[in-house]
Amino acid sequence: MNTGSAPRHAVPDLADPGLYADHDPHAVWRALRAYDPVYWQPVGAPHAARGQGAGGPRPDAGLGFWAATRYADVDRILRDHEVFTSERGTLLSLIGRPDPAAGHQMAATDPPRHDALRAPLHKAMRVRSVDAHTREVRAGIRALLPLDGGPFDFAAGMRDLPLVVLGLLLGLPEADRPHLARLAMTASAEDDPDLMLPEGPAATLRRAHRELFAYFTDLVRARARDPRDDLVGIMLGMRHDGVRMPPAAIVSNCYSLLLGAAVTLSQVPVATVMALAENGGYAAWAARPDLLDSGIEESLRWATPARYFMRTTRRPVELSGVVVPEGQPVVAFLASANRDRRVFTDPDVFDVARRPNRHLAFGAGPHYCIGANMARLTLRLLFTELFAAYAKLDVVGEPVRIRSVFLAGVKSLPVQGRLRRAPV
Amino acid sequence: MAQNHHVVRPGAAHDPGAADEEARVEAGITTDYAAPRTGLEERLVRLWESALRFGPVGIEDDFFELGGDSMLAARVQLDVDVEFGVEISAAALFLSPTVATLAEAVEEALKSAGAGV
Repeated sequence: MNTGSAPRHAVPDLADPGLYADHDPHAVWRALRAYDPVYWQPVGAPHAARGQGAGGPRPDAGLGFWAATRYADVDRILRDHEVFTSERGTLLSLIGRPDPAAGHQMAATDPPRHDALRAPLHKAMRVRSVDAHTREVRAGIRALLPLDGGPFDFAAGMRDLPLVVLGLLLGLPEADRPHLARLAMTASAEDDPDLMLPEGPAATLRRAHRELFAYFTDLVRARARDPRDDLVGIMLGMRHDGVRMPPAAIVSNCYSLLLGAAVTLSQVPVATVMALAENGGYAAWAARPDLLDSGIEESLRWATPARYFMRTTRRPVELSGVVVPEGQPVVAFLASANRDRRVFTDPDVFDVARRPNRHLAFGAGPHYCIGANMARLTLRLLFTELFAAYAKLDVVGEPVRIRSVFLAGVKSLPVQGRLRRAPV
Repeated sequence: MAQNHHVVRPGAAHDPGAADEEARVEAGITTDYAAPRTGLEERLVRLWESALRFGPVGIEDDFFELGGDSMLAARVQLDVDVEFGVEISAAALFLSPTVATLAEAVEEALKSAGAGV
């Protein structure tokens, strides 16, 4: 139901990366959930300029999107692919222009074609799961946690966490991993001043995207020539409905895996350490291994690193009393849904014992994160090692937020840990 | 990637007239048409034209401007392997996406493959 009682001029621009870098979006979403749950956000200029190619500049008039902020609406938008298609872009940078990935990349493809891309990867991930690599992942995680007793940047350390896991699953050479982590970050937060090229966000995004595709094309070719028992090797040998997966689709799947994991996963421990420093709950949680799993779910809810996904309506549809016409972009704010008090008691309290916790951090429906189990296993190992290493972990400096609408997180978090054992 | 495909002339003769030039501009191609100079470039042009369903492709044209996307680029990259029997780094196609630079890279690879064996 749209009560329409919120003064519209009070709503800041939800498409402005500055809102997320310098302000608290949760305050904005709270008001929107209460007063304007399906809010029309005009977009002044196309967020990312079109390529040099077709058509030239477009009139800005009429561009915008519907911002859905309540849990029930967000959940419906993600699940109902018949009404809400992914094939016209899932990110705001694509508003007003066609998505080149439509029908090719999992995230930008609707069922049933989506399932043909997803099923083989899903199967491959079951065959080659993190379970089989527990020892190596644990060793990789330990290397990220300094034990010299000095202050360190927790966010910088966590940046390599997803690559510890993905690197093993995809057989990526160690030397390539930091570069890949940076490219993935660039492809997800192209507005951040540390990552943006002088040519602007659209060029930055394009460049990172192509470098990653080039990298994975080379990787897939190398595996085809010299088969190995990693995820790529498994996908190369696989048949789906009797047909081999085209190598280009494997390249695309590698890209999706890296983007899905590389930037989002690292933000979960970072947001959690910040929350624990604020509520003083670190030692209490560390002392309760029985709350490890529920605490990890709470970390996921709290962090929600992928703030939103965009869909486009295929026909007119009613959401919370608002009729959204056909062919319009709808942005489902997962991060807002995960603080909706209609579903979560005291949603702004970080509670490691929270149950039930049906958060949407991994999305919902056909595009539910394919790496969810991988993420959970990795986080379990990470928090176990973290609690084993430090009795206490204090934030000792100002966190620096990432300038991005999509990616929620910080790029720098100075911390100081009290070691359980003597410094090494 | 579908917007540029209104000039569908695979295998067209490489002497575009005024109508073609106009169509190129309309399709948003910013380079002037340049014909292939060698047999190698000629083969690559044909390979691109069949992948892009667009022609004629000039040797200085940008693959992505011609309507190519990353998936198609990955496919073309793999087609090049098969066609020439050498593997060249994907960076050539993804980061400097013209037939001219790709031809250079293929030639380089063919030379060192010949020297190596």
